[in-house]
Amino acid sequence: MFRKVLIANRGEIAVRVIRTLREMQIASVAVFSDADRTSLHVRMADEAECVGPSPSTESYLRIDRILDAARQHGAEAIHPGYGFLSENADFAAACEAAGIVFIGPSAESIRRMGSKTAARQMAIAAGAPVVPGTHEAIGGPADARVLARQFGYPLLLKAVAGGGGKGMRRVDSDAELDAAFRDASSEAERSFSNPDLYVEKLIERPRHIEIQLLGDRHGHMVHFGERECSIQRRHQKVMEECPSPLVAARPGMREAMGEAAIRVARSAGYYNAGTVEFLVDARGDFYFLEMNTRLQVEHPITELVTGHDLVRLQLEVAAGEKLLLRQEDIAWRGAAIECRIYAEDPYNSFVPSPGKITRLTRPLGPGVRLDGCVYEGWTVPIDYDPLLAKLAVWNGTRETAIARMLRALREYDVGGIHTNIAFFRQILDDEAFRAGRLHTHFLDEFMERRKPFAPPPELESIAAMVAAFHSKRNAPRAETAPPRPSRWLEIGRHEALR
Amino acid sequence: MNQIVAVEPGVYSVLMNGRSYEARVEQSDGCLIVVIDGHRFEVEIRDPRRWSRHTTKPGIEGRLHVTAAMPGKIVRLLVAEGDTVAAGQGLLVVEAMKMQNEMKAPKAGCVVSLTAREGATVAAGDVLAAIE
Repeated sequence: MFRKVLIANRGEIAVRVIRTLREMQIASVAVFSDADRTSLHVRMADEAECVGPSPSTESYLRIDRILDAARQHGAEAIHPGYGFLSENADFAAACEAAGIVFIGPSAESIRRMGSKTAARQMAIAAGAPVVPGTHEAIGGPADARVLARQFGYPLLLKAVAGGGGKGMRRVDSDAELDAAFRDASSEAERSFSNPDLYVEKLIERPRHIEIQLLGDRHGHMVHFGERECSIQRRHQKVMEECPSPLVAARPGMREAMGEAAIRVARSAGYYNAGTVEFLVDARGDFYFLEMNTRLQVEHPITELVTGHDLVRLQLEVAAGEKLLLRQEDIAWRGAAIECRIYAEDPYNSFVPSPGKITRLTRPLGPGVRLDGCVYEGWTVPIDYDPLLAKLAVWNGTRETAIARMLRALREYDVGGIHTNIAFFRQILDDEAFRAGRLHTHFLDEFMERRKPFAPPPELESIAAMVAAFHSKRNAPRAETAPPRPSRWLEIGRHEALR
Repeated sequence: MNQIVAVEPGVYSVLMNGRSYEARVEQSDGCLIVVIDGHRFEVEIRDPRRWSRHTTKPGIEGRLHVTAAMPGKIVRLLVAEGDTVAAGQGLLVVEAMKMQNEMKAPKAGCVVSLTAREGATVAAGDVLAAIE
């Protein structure tokens, strides 16, 4: 096993990885940008190295600087987390060339899965069902218009090198095509340095369900079942659960999806952790969407339900160990839900809300897991994704897990900035959510029907009372009591009288 | 018995009619934010000893300024100076924290000035446009 590992990431995922490293008695090396000197991952790691200024293109995305830091600190392996360089084949190759283990799949697997069109081809070859669409980048809006006649609207424009909803636009008519193409393409250029787009038929009201995989370097691979990630906003997952209410209700569906996912991954010679995403229609038919060649943000809910530490398994297989788990060893117990706590204002069109955390109360108690990077007095930098923490809960059933999440959210308080904590309480109270009627436009529809987050009537007068009490307590003394005479003045007078 | 006690800095435990509440107070410009059970209340303290007249906020009448809520970069302008816009119509797109946000017209009217430029970096509070 490794003795020292560098984490090429920041925020909650860096903290998450450091925790497992410490449990395995492996030394950790954090890297950080100028904006992150005071971030929690730097405070928690055994060693740390600055890799550049705040913009991620000059720090967290600088392969040369990260490898320099790894060499300087004698790290034998690099965990890339998610985002940043985690799905960058050049980075994986550069690690290998430098004699440092990249904790993830081979550069070749990343390259093959990184191009969505190539991944699609591979899925088709492996016998997995796919959504109708082009197999390669299209030239421009004119091409898209031709394809629109073939597939019919609505269509989806997607970045060839994309992920996380960046460079993706829904198009409902010819009239919208030009603007949508321009936006998606420029967003793709900015996010992935590649403006190429492809077109796909949009499946209305699909569910987004993904399968967690893990394989060793000796050809053995298992799946850890599904995660339902249908609660999304602008194609970004907001809340996930395991098991999926749909899959749980259909015997054999988990196995069928798991086997399809393994077939696709195997055809890319895949090893380490990865996730195959599927779109699932109302009938329960599933279509291969893409493969994420890294640890997912939402991995904790799989860990809660299966009882396995995915980061530990990643480290073990990266070190060349054989995966001893057989498929039949993996069992699913109870239900887990995760809420992504963002620094944003859900009552003001979700504008990001960076700033200083003035107060923090964390949820505790039975079945609660918090993967965060926040502490009291920390200033959320404006340079990065506004994810503050992932709150996950486990309980015996979906119903009791929902109740537990509601309880945990009520205990959670972050002061000084806006967060979406209260917004989750509204979603969890929603009848359609509770009935498990989920799809990727659930949140858009929920926003239309949601009632205001109205306080019980007595709270308003309590708030007024507390405000008055607080302001009286904190009023400058000058206004409530006569000023104390200056000691210097007193001494002066005393001296004058002598 | 009703009672308020300070339990932590800015945190108060309130007992009222036998029920227990917890209230958290933070200072915002000009007012206090009180949070009870996830509900936010903006409370303005009117202290006659600290009365000031220039706190009136611009109403929906007359000229309204559209300001940047946070630091970011202007990605695209959706209107031009002199355009007539409807309330809620998108004026420009600002990118911050890797997210693109459309700034919308706070009311219907004419775009009398548009100081925002594509590609420009803006600070929180910068005036981007004015609508009359």
